[in-house]
Amino acid sequence: MLTNLLAWIDERFPLTKVWNEHLAEYYTPKNFNFWYFFGSLAMLVLVIQILSGLFLAMHYKPDTGLAFASVEYIMRDVEWGWLIRYMHSTGSSAFFIVVYLHMFRGLLYGSYRGPRELIWLIGMVIFVALMATAFLGYLLPWGNMSYWGAQVIISLFDAIPFVGPSLAEWLRGDFVVSDATLNRFFALHFFIPVIILPALVFVHIVALHKVGSSNPDGIEIKKKKGPDGKPLDGIPFHPYFTVKDIAGVAVFLMFFSAVLFFAPELGGWFLEPDNFVPANILQTPTEIVPLWYFTPFYSILRAVTTDMMRFGLLPFMAVVGGLAIYSVRDMMMRAVVAGATAAILLGLFMMEAKIWGVIMMGLSIVLFFLLPWLDRSPVKSIRYRGWMYKTALTLFSVSFVILGYLGTKSPEAISLFLMKNVYWVQIFTIVYFAFFLFMPWYTTLDKTKPVPERVTP
Amino acid sequence: MSEEAADPGRRRFLTLATTAVGAVGTVYAITPFVKSMLPSARAKAAGAPVEVDISMLEPGQLLTVEWRGKPVWILKRTPAMLESLTKHDSLLADPASKVADQQPAYAQNVARSIKPDILVLVGICTHLGCSPDKRLDAGAVSGLGDDWPGGFFCPCHGSKFDLAGRVYKNVPAPTNLPVPPYMFAADTRLVIGEDKKGAA
Amino acid sequence: MKKLLILLSLAAMPVAGFAAGGEHAKLDAVKIDLSDKTSLQRGARIFVNYCLSCHSAAYMRYNRMGKDLGISEELVKDNLLFAADKVGDLMKAVMPAEEAKAAFSTVPPDLSVIARARKPAWLYTYMRSFYRDDKAPSGWNNTVFPHVAMPHVLYEWQGHQRAIFKQDGAFERFELVRPGSMSTEDYDKAMRDLINFLVYLGEPAKLERYQLGVWVLLFLAVFFVFAYLLKKEYWKDVH
Repeated sequence: MLTNLLAWIDERFPLTKVWNEHLAEYYTPKNFNFWYFFGSLAMLVLVIQILSGLFLAMHYKPDTGLAFASVEYIMRDVEWGWLIRYMHSTGSSAFFIVVYLHMFRGLLYGSYRGPRELIWLIGMVIFVALMATAFLGYLLPWGNMSYWGAQVIISLFDAIPFVGPSLAEWLRGDFVVSDATLNRFFALHFFIPVIILPALVFVHIVALHKVGSSNPDGIEIKKKKGPDGKPLDGIPFHPYFTVKDIAGVAVFLMFFSAVLFFAPELGGWFLEPDNFVPANILQTPTEIVPLWYFTPFYSILRAVTTDMMRFGLLPFMAVVGGLAIYSVRDMMMRAVVAGATAAILLGLFMMEAKIWGVIMMGLSIVLFFLLPWLDRSPVKSIRYRGWMYKTALTLFSVSFVILGYLGTKSPEAISLFLMKNVYWVQIFTIVYFAFFLFMPWYTTLDKTKPVPERVTP
Repeated sequence: MSEEAADPGRRRFLTLATTAVGAVGTVYAITPFVKSMLPSARAKAAGAPVEVDISMLEPGQLLTVEWRGKPVWILKRTPAMLESLTKHDSLLADPASKVADQQPAYAQNVARSIKPDILVLVGICTHLGCSPDKRLDAGAVSGLGDDWPGGFFCPCHGSKFDLAGRVYKNVPAPTNLPVPPYMFAADTRLVIGEDKKGAA
Repeated sequence: MKKLLILLSLAAMPVAGFAAGGEHAKLDAVKIDLSDKTSLQRGARIFVNYCLSCHSAAYMRYNRMGKDLGISEELVKDNLLFAADKVGDLMKAVMPAEEAKAAFSTVPPDLSVIARARKPAWLYTYMRSFYRDDKAPSGWNNTVFPHVAMPHVLYEWQGHQRAIFKQDGAFERFELVRPGSMSTEDYDKAMRDLINFLVYLGEPAKLERYQLGVWVLLFLAVFFVFAYLLKKEYWKDVH
């Protein structure tokens, strides 16, 4: 009976084929470790966010006069509304935690290296779409931090020469963040995660299943096949990784629920105290701080001052440019690189710090896109890399965390030791960029270890 | 190849157990989402029982109040109106109001009311939810023929009800107009939406 | 694994920093205990009788508060319903916003979520830090919230305080100039009840959140045990 039904469907839709290609006969390296949980967890969080968001949207009102009250209405009057709301607010932070760990996995094991460049690029587009979604959603509760956060970030567009101010007005639909802004943010906060994100995730996975998954050894399991044509080091995704991921989901949900039920604000890190004050156009919060997942980039934005450009970025870019000119063999290319370096250096002299802050912040994300081409190492995995990449990745991780932490603090305060936050931020901004911009050289010079033929357990 | 042999029985049991626990968890996880669509505390507060003062209501007069967003009619029937109720049973689909959920037990009588003269009805046609017209006067003046005993007429699809809200035969509406739970807090103070058993 | 531990400790660092980040004025700790129903009830009484004259708590309904704090609808109706007609109504202020604006030159903020915007210790210290100041329009000032528009509403309970400042202008201590109807200890207790109530008011769901959370975690632990055993069983095949 069931077999007949399946046959009937298979004649009309490739159900069995899809099942086999992507689950039952998708051969996955058997040596996946802890870091390989986060892809499926990211999909789980996307589902949580779409579902909880859908049910919140049934009660939420995108109107400046009603928005704040409608959130409290959900928290009090709607049955189980508080649970759904906390699911969504905890989920947004969980999304970034999971995605950052997923990306860090890529850095550890070189998952972005060929032939997986496209998977990485699509993944980066997902990350940018995720940031846009989070930014749009953060305005919706219409708290005071929502309001001023949106005001500040949209004002970044003002920095763009010539078109900036009119572009910012177009984005807001008004001269300040207003009802028009809230209404369109709500519409986009629905559209991007519900339509765009799932489509991107779909393409991300199609591309992954085309070339096959990478692994902690950074070798291609498809190169060693048994007589049956199946990779010797591969096991079917289903059932082996489905059962493994289910166990991973259980652990993740324990962390998720612990936050949701016992500390949904997480001491102000997931829900900020200032956002429990309704938006007030006359009173800025003492410090405007985005939520933690944006603060590394926010720090870079704030790091750029005139002095930072003169004594930090200028020499740094001169060194990077000099190295590039020296390394490029082709004379035509060398002229292009020299021209670009000159343009950047001139720009650092001519343009003001506000614009460079925006450029550097944009660049800090754009550089991730370029990783597959910046990395020249003969090996992919950190297991077989030398001390240079290991040191660089450690420094980068530290700078990312510290930039994130100091992004929540006043630049003038002293939160670490010795000197004001702003100086630390400037130092670690350089470290952050050095990781990417020096990568072609230190990955070439690095002493690597021989890579085994087969995966190691 | 393997150090330990696979145990098919254990495997089947664990698969079933994990699926079962997972299914229970999923049902629990879905419940809050389903329940969030029920009337909220605001809807319930807005749907709270309504108190109406009917001391000014004249015989033959109809007062419409809102309860839970629905029109509720309070009609003080004249002796002539009450008398007419017994005379056209053959025209009605359910003259004895046997469909129990169309009225509380205390209104399951000929007049379909606690006090014979005071009729309380939810003014929503049981066909498709229009609010019927009031054609209280008997005879040709109603536009429904000389023998019309007075009642309600739904303009949407032509359903007819008598002065106790009982539905006529051969009209689209299936049942009598519902009587909401109500009680008299005092002689002329009517509470709609709450009776001696508690709030609806 | 070692690197993971380093990363985790780095991630924990900001949390510690956040907790240490202080306010300008020294705040007195207050014991919050939402399971103390009688304290919450006393707090509710103070709140409705005094605060609700000018402030609203317009996201909260009287009957919800009654239900959560174990006060029957009749008692809510008879004792707490000054500014509304129905127990299902929202807790709006008695004084209309325009009148309040005229009187204090600012609209008193809604207090529904004040305990989530401000720390309980801040609220507790604030309520006990009013002092006489002839230069202030209301005649009152506050060390925690200088130049606040709100006068000391409960001065009859606490009495009149005078603030003593050090040479450099920093606040040193209060001196009770004229005692009120309550001893300092009783007044502090009453304020603790009030702040306890404000914390409840900020998030009524807190009452059920913790209890439900324990069950959810226990359930997930059971689920994990089965899922983990299942994984182990299947992975016997893999070597």
